[in-house]
Amino acid sequence: MAGGYYKIKRGESLTFWERLYLPEIFRGLSVTTRHFIPNWISTIIAYITRTPEKRKIMTIYYPEELPEIPDSYRGKPVLVRAGNGATKCVACGLCEVACPPKCISIVGGNRSDGTRYPETYTLDGSRCIFCGLCEEACPVEAIVMSHRYQDLCEHDRSKMIYSKEDLLVPEKDLQSRLDFIRRRAYGKCNY
Amino acid sequence: MDITLIPGYQYMPELVEMMLKIVFIFTMNVGVFAPLLGYVERKQSALMQDRIGANRAAILGFTIFGLWHTMTDAIKLIAKEDFIPEGADKPLHFLAPFVAVVPALIAFAVIPFGGTYYLWGHEAHLIIADLDVGILFIFAVAGIGTYGAVIAAWASNNNWSLLGGVRTAAQMVSYEVAMGLTIVGVLMVYESLKLTEIALIQEDFFMWGIFLQPVGFLLFLACALAENKRVPFDIPEAESELIAGYFTEYSGLKFAMFWMAEFVEIVTISAILTVLFFGAWHIPFVTHDGLLSLLTSVVGADIGNLLLMFIHLAVFWGKVCFLIVFLMLIRWSLPRFRYDQIMKLGWKIILPLALVNILATGVILLVVK
Repeated sequence: MAGGYYKIKRGESLTFWERLYLPEIFRGLSVTTRHFIPNWISTIIAYITRTPEKRKIMTIYYPEELPEIPDSYRGKPVLVRAGNGATKCVACGLCEVACPPKCISIVGGNRSDGTRYPETYTLDGSRCIFCGLCEEACPVEAIVMSHRYQDLCEHDRSKMIYSKEDLLVPEKDLQSRLDFIRRRAYGKCNY
Repeated sequence: MDITLIPGYQYMPELVEMMLKIVFIFTMNVGVFAPLLGYVERKQSALMQDRIGANRAAILGFTIFGLWHTMTDAIKLIAKEDFIPEGADKPLHFLAPFVAVVPALIAFAVIPFGGTYYLWGHEAHLIIADLDVGILFIFAVAGIGTYGAVIAAWASNNNWSLLGGVRTAAQMVSYEVAMGLTIVGVLMVYESLKLTEIALIQEDFFMWGIFLQPVGFLLFLACALAENKRVPFDIPEAESELIAGYFTEYSGLKFAMFWMAEFVEIVTISAILTVLFFGAWHIPFVTHDGLLSLLTSVVGADIGNLLLMFIHLAVFWGKVCFLIVFLMLIRWSLPRFRYDQIMKLGWKIILPLALVNILATGVILLVVK
């Protein structure tokens, strides 16, 4: 409950009051009571008023309540879908090289206007280690780590191989993560 | 047919009253407190340790703070295999849980849980058997409970069980003498062994045992906790040392019976403490007659008596519940005493203190009278 730490002064041998048992027993009981009563009352109040944040116990009732994900969280890697509906990826292959377990494989192609794009972009979710190096390597912010962490497991590994269409996510859903990347990238060099 | 022709018809009200009281006490102990305390124990320990505790069992999406876990616990224990180890003494193995649970229930027979009420010409006493030696009867019966543990340990053919049984016996020897002596001070003050008389004197708030015998209360509480074989004094069970002590080899309903014996003992101890030290069913500063005349003037004599009975029942069981929560608090706060520490506590601390308490009480009584 209490934040920080404090040092307890404790002698080598027990003092007279400690050897009496009773004062120390009451002290112990008061400590547990100070946890028990506030926890009890706050749990009941939170249950009745449906306000989980009022609970003094920090445990989250997981499937019913979801934790608040920080911006720095690395979930499933996804491709950013730009305003025109296509991926930002230019098929440079840097993420492919940076990926430690080598789970990304790209086949590049040229559009009619000469820009490059990935014909296929395959990410093997069963091998991905969620390290975020692809995101750091990407020069055009095309692949970012989303905040998605649920429903990633399958009974069959072949279902965990994501194609380009599986990975595309609208840019507005990833805005907080994109902002975080920019803060991280430019914050260090006083840009 | 004339009802008066039935032989012994004049005893029918007494019989009905007696049956109702026995059913009530049995239901309170076995039906309400035993399953509920399992839940209270889990939930309270969780809240004390900043955990959540049982909260998953749900019916139609309603968990009501995990209260359904009492039901799932019961179903689990009933559905489990009743295992008897090879080489066990089967009759004794079967007998032990009953020996453990019955004394705990019987002790309740002499504990008054309400006063005397006049209902439609019938005089109702809220006590099953008003013995003149009530408090001695409780000690006598409580001692038998230890046999349950010892028999279970002996019959299980298991080293851990046997160690638990030996420890139970050793612990019993070290606190039982002191326990008898701690209560002598209370008996001297109230000049009676009859629990109803002790309870009636405590109608006056300043005559409550906790004020007249504070030292006696603390010593008796310590002995009662030892009697209960729960945590500060749980060397017979000692999960970290002896697996589960004397009931290691028990499963299913027989295990549930040991479990029930433990919880019924908590209720019994709380009830004894309530009667001896916390004014039984009396509300502080409110006399029986005063409240009765008030109720009578509002709703009439019979309904007034009935209402008063329910108020007193609620007060009594409220006090018992408060003490149960307090005992649970102790159980989840304190570490276990070592084997030799219990001996030392029983023989070298509680016993002399109890004797000094008796002496001091005697001197004060002599001076006051």
